Amino acid sequence: MIPVSYNLRNLTVRKTTTAAVALGLGLVVFVFASVLMLSNGIKKTMGRSASPDVAVVLRKGATAELESVIEEPSINLVLNDKELPLPATGPRGIAELVVVILLDKVGAPGLSNATVRGVADGSLAFRPNIKIIAGRAAQSGSDEVTVGKAIRGRFKGLDLDQTFELKKNRPVKVVGIFEDAGSSYESEVWADLNLVRASFRREGVVSVIRARVEPSKFDGYKASIESNRQLNMQVLKEAEYYDKQSEGTSTFIAAMGIMIAVFFSVGAMLGAMITMHAAVANRQREIGTLRALGFSKASILFSFLIESIMLALLGGVLGAGASLAMGMVNFSMVNFASWSEISFRFEPTPGIIAGGIIFATVMGLFGGLFPAIRASRVSPIDAMRS
Amino acid sequence: MEPSIVELKGITKTFQRGKEPIVVLDGLTLEIPTGSFEALMGPSGSGKSTLLNLIAGLDRPTQGSAVVAGANLVSMSDGELAKFRARHIGFIFQAYNLLPVLTAIENVELPLLLTNLSKTERRERAQTALRVVGLEERMKHYPRQLSGGQEQRVAIARAIVNDPTIIVADEPTGDLDRKAADDILNLLERLNKEFKKTILMVTHDPHAAERAGVTRKLDKGQLQ
Ligand SMILES: Nc1ncnc2c1ncn2[C@@H]1O[C@H](COP(=O)(O)OP(=O)(O)O)[C@@H](O)[C@H]1O
Ligand SMILES: [Mg+2]
Repeated sequence: MIPVSYNLRNLTVRKTTTAAVALGLGLVVFVFASVLMLSNGIKKTMGRSASPDVAVVLRKGATAELESVIEEPSINLVLNDKELPLPATGPRGIAELVVVILLDKVGAPGLSNATVRGVADGSLAFRPNIKIIAGRAAQSGSDEVTVGKAIRGRFKGLDLDQTFELKKNRPVKVVGIFEDAGSSYESEVWADLNLVRASFRREGVVSVIRARVEPSKFDGYKASIESNRQLNMQVLKEAEYYDKQSEGTSTFIAAMGIMIAVFFSVGAMLGAMITMHAAVANRQREIGTLRALGFSKASILFSFLIESIMLALLGGVLGAGASLAMGMVNFSMVNFASWSEISFRFEPTPGIIAGGIIFATVMGLFGGLFPAIRASRVSPIDAMRS
Repeated sequence: MEPSIVELKGITKTFQRGKEPIVVLDGLTLEIPTGSFEALMGPSGSGKSTLLNLIAGLDRPTQGSAVVAGANLVSMSDGELAKFRARHIGFIFQAYNLLPVLTAIENVELPLLLTNLSKTERRERAQTALRVVGLEERMKHYPRQLSGGQEQRVAIARAIVNDPTIIVADEPTGDLDRKAADDILNLLERLNKEFKKTILMVTHDPHAAERAGVTRKLDKGQLQ
């Protein structure tokens, strides 16, 4: 076999073209990996809000909390169903009203949507993972609100001890900031249920009921609620609910990103092909010499493929490395399920990084294939010509 | 009398140039005894390189039989010819043909990569070959750090490292000045006398041809 150092040194000899082509390939891998990391980040952010032992009850046909309307009298029926076991600690369930409001963005012109959750007493106790990290919890029945740390300061008035208008002439005061391990709750404003109802003329209704059900009892509870025609409701596992919420957005982003990456990869592969073609042309006599010495066509083909793949791997490592740096960036965008701002992060996984490297290898393979075939066809007689 | 190492009978080689076939070798017959040092001369374009390439298994005759080192070259596939060259032929080129990104010793080691020798054995053999050509202390040098004569000596080390049955050299001194050319010719003479190597050398320099035991002249597709 022709030693790999032969290829490595040839890449170093033409270092400018090697660097340029590797950068091009790296850019493609960067786009590919970053976008998958973002798509994964969206899924993870939404998924983090889910507990394995929580059932989400919505109006039948509603695809999101925001679309769902549940009348007050139904709450008791849902939470006192005979199939719903009594939890070991904490409340049995909670009923909340979700609305979207327009607020002034900080640092950017214009308005954007923010999600407001009207919460009752048990909301914090029901979600033990949520922690107040600044200020304090809001007093129930007051015009105090708490704000998730991801949108803190992103809108005017949305920081500790500031005030903003929930609705015209309905000023509220931010008394606390909470965090929830990066979940989508961190992109919400939590206000008193009755205040939200009054402000938005939604008296007597909620959007969603959450009930504490251990997984083994879930099916029985779901069947019991959904078979009650009068209730006209659907029951989902919380994880399932959030999966559905993020599915559209994350799939859309992943699909867009992969399309863009594939589109650019054609250019990057052409770049690899052109440099490898030039390399073959410049090394015609070297190839002929190797053939004369007895190296087979296959070993020449293999050697040039290796060279192209090494070039691509250099780009792949550059691109994947740069995409890892994106992990430091917080990204805020509209979640298509609720049309409100939600904050995401680029979440790398070993699979995404490996995928980027494999993508690079495939580009190197395809870009290098035709030049390598051409190299393998160089006649050993060419070595004799001067 | 030693048995022949090269036996060519009725060799014809034609090339197609456009629609015109050009007959370069025309029913040529040649026997080279083992252990000889022969020079092949002739006007430019007379087919010296073509003949050398046939003997070295780089190309096939259009007609005739060619047996070299006991192998019937006419019936061999491309892959078999490559194995034949690796096993039996040591090449010396006019333009040295060292790989520029490899050091002297790495260049010399190349043919050994096609054998089953271990890395240390390969290094030792390559070093020995460089010692024979007097360049052991230059083994870490790259071709561009060597003079033309030194490059050709490295190429000779590469040609002998595999202990080939026959060494073919196409104008080995063509690119060298008198002094460097003499060094190369001394080396080839020594390889023939001391190491009993069969050598076939193409040249148009009468001075170089003098060093060979036999000089053959090629003209109009035939050996004179
Ligand atoms: N691959 C080829 N295709 C066509 N013509 C060739 C080819 N190789 C050699 N020739 C022709 O064959 C003749 C002999 O060439 P060559 O053997 O290189 O001559 P020499 O080495 O004696 O100068 C020349 O006329 C040359 O142009
Ligand atoms: Mg010639």
